[in-house]
Amino acid sequence: MENQTRFDLNAAIGGWRQALAVQSGLSPDDRRELETHLRDAIAGFQQHGLNDEESFWLACRRVGQLQQLGDEFAKADPTKVWRERAFWMVLVLFLSSVLMSVIDVMAFDLQVVRTPLDNGFLQMMQTIAREVVALSPILIPLVIALLVRSKKMVHLFLKLTRFIENRLHLAIGVSGILAIAAALVTIAAKMHNARIDSLGLHSARLHLTVSIWQVLNSTFCYPLMIALVLFLLMPSKNRKTSKCA
Amino acid sequence: MYKTAMLTKDLVAASSKPLLLSILAGGESYGYEIIQKVRELSGGQIEWSDGMLYPVLHRLERDGLIDSEWKEADTGRERKYYFISSDGYKALKTERQQWLAVHNTLSRLWKIKPVSI
Repeated sequence: MENQTRFDLNAAIGGWRQALAVQSGLSPDDRRELETHLRDAIAGFQQHGLNDEESFWLACRRVGQLQQLGDEFAKADPTKVWRERAFWMVLVLFLSSVLMSVIDVMAFDLQVVRTPLDNGFLQMMQTIAREVVALSPILIPLVIALLVRSKKMVHLFLKLTRFIENRLHLAIGVSGILAIAAALVTIAAKMHNARIDSLGLHSARLHLTVSIWQVLNSTFCYPLMIALVLFLLMPSKNRKTSKCA
Repeated sequence: MYKTAMLTKDLVAASSKPLLLSILAGGESYGYEIIQKVRELSGGQIEWSDGMLYPVLHRLERDGLIDSEWKEADTGRERKYYFISSDGYKALKTERQQWLAVHNTLSRLWKIKPVSI
């Protein structure tokens, strides 16, 4: 590094954090703890009169090789790493199951009312569109996996882990998503019923209109069960924060 | 010279438990502070690699000997504080007896005055 280049301490810490984030074996909580340690060590060296750059490199040395650290942490608690991994997997499962349920209800309307179309080409296009829509929840984990592989997601992922810090945050997030999904499903079901009415299919009403309660029940049974698993996997301990006297 | 030599890896590993429990028995603390304290008290002879302290702390926590909590310090920085549990006190008592037994045996061999348990 050239002399005239100013050393950006925050950028350096950011880089260190990213290098730490790609180490397997470390939970978000571990990473947060190590980062506090690094910052404490930097502050300690600065108090001894060292400049930002010197303090940063010495603190990094003190904390140690990141690869080695990851291995040691994983050895200390092998189950924790898998618990955290399982948490993220179940979170993706939850999101895709909610999306799948919502799309199911919407696609139901398409199937009953909009088909068959007279135009063969349009009908084919509609079928393709429906298939793509129906498959989209399965594509979510695939897209996420590809993003994680490319390591471009690290920043976003870190933000997300800071957002979901305790069970309260998780509960608010999960209920928010379920509420939005419930609203969408209700609107879809109502629109569907209204369309049946407007088309004058009253004789067939029993078969074609849907009970909103039934739809909600069948839509949320599975996501709610998954949400329960999420809560069980959520490591609640050590996440609470209180003021130090 | 043996006098200034650092502790061997095995001894560092074996002594980390009683050291950590003893420090926390004196009051809650966080990783950086613990490292500083050990460095200071041992006159630099016990040099832990900073990052390796945490897996040890986490193991003690998993064994129920210590607890932890994130707290905001006066500076506004959040730190994970560790404190000793009642099981930790019991474990410390046992550790103390065992280490003193080793110490006393060696002391007698080396004709140094033993310490009472």
